[in-house]
Amino acid sequence: MGNEAGKPSIITSSLDFLVNWGRTNSLWPFPYGTACCAIEFMSTEVGRYDLSRIGSEYVRFTPRQSDVLLVAGTITYKQAPILKRIYEQMAEPRWVIAMGACASSGGFYDCYCTVPGIDHIIPVDVYIGGCPSRPEAFFDAMFDLQKKIKDESYMKQRAERVKDQLEMIKAKTAEAKANAKEFAQEKVADIKDFVVEKEQNLVKKAQFWKE
Amino acid sequence: MSVENIFSTLEEKFGAKRETLDKWGVTAVVSGAYLHNVVQFLKDSAEVKFDMLVDIAGIDYLTYPNHEGPRFAVSYSFKSIKTPGARIRLKVLVGEDCLKVPTITDLYANANWYEREVYDQFGIVFEGHPDLRRLLNHVEFVGHPLRKDYPAQKRQWLSTNDYLLPELEKRLETLGYKVIQRSKEVEPNDDEFLEGSVKA
Repeated sequence: MGNEAGKPSIITSSLDFLVNWGRTNSLWPFPYGTACCAIEFMSTEVGRYDLSRIGSEYVRFTPRQSDVLLVAGTITYKQAPILKRIYEQMAEPRWVIAMGACASSGGFYDCYCTVPGIDHIIPVDVYIGGCPSRPEAFFDAMFDLQKKIKDESYMKQRAERVKDQLEMIKAKTAEAKANAKEFAQEKVADIKDFVVEKEQNLVKKAQFWKE
Repeated sequence: MSVENIFSTLEEKFGAKRETLDKWGVTAVVSGAYLHNVVQFLKDSAEVKFDMLVDIAGIDYLTYPNHEGPRFAVSYSFKSIKTPGARIRLKVLVGEDCLKVPTITDLYANANWYEREVYDQFGIVFEGHPDLRRLLNHVEFVGHPLRKDYPAQKRQWLSTNDYLLPELEKRLETLGYKVIQRSKEVEPNDDEFLEGSVKA
């Protein structure tokens, strides 16, 4: 056991697998339903189609506890800041499904009040067609999302995060160093001025006494 | 006891003409100055009492074929509950130079939001309205989208949510509640407003 843990390749791959397995089979949706697609989602969720079969057991009505933002319905410009804010409130990792024609492209609302696709506001992982989409289409989208999550690498993402943090720390250190240098130079200049003034004063005094 | 008599009374009393173009013949064109009196008459003292305001709609005649006269109109639809089937429509013509119509919110409470909608979509100002704000479009919207000269595909972004808490508190205070303390979370943060947004 101790020897195996020493091999980093085995640990990374298995941890990725474990994390992805957990994430894949417990996708809790946040239903952002504004139109008829939300009705289809209801039928997807309950008995006949039963979304719990693939692990989406609970529908969470708070962004803090959910993984998938399910945008089901027309998004108007008045609604857009609210949607963006809810997306920002969700904890990482988070995914977005655009359900139906309206959320994907604005649908037939080609007018002054409707956002032409929520990808103008937030990044989208899976699009579903249909007006409204069938529950089968929704299941298909969930399977697609699961496939996508299985391809993700937790360790790679973590490495990238650490890299970013390192770079940030380096940049900050460089900035601080530059600031300190500037400050020191200023101090040195001040001291030089002070010394020069003293010297001049001394010279003046000496001249006075000579006279 | 019929709607036909009401049209003759309206013409005698208020100089309201019957619209000939109306397919059903239930429209009377009223001048804005008499509108409030006409509505009060229809509600309280007419033979058939029209006690239900069904709708208020704005009309823009800019691209209407063979139209002469003022550009805008506001159409009021009334219905009688006690006399089934009795309906009447009043039309007020509004010129582009003076976009003003008296409000009827003191007679029909539901006119409040109808008038706000017409103001929002057509820019017609209802004088004496208690709270004339946009109803459907957001606060940062410029222009009036249902006017014929507004490009239908012109989209306008909203940078932040409408801040509706002060109005809610005002309404709560009228109901007898009192706001003692406001939690920090509901106070608008300056960072949340994007550049150029309206802090209402």
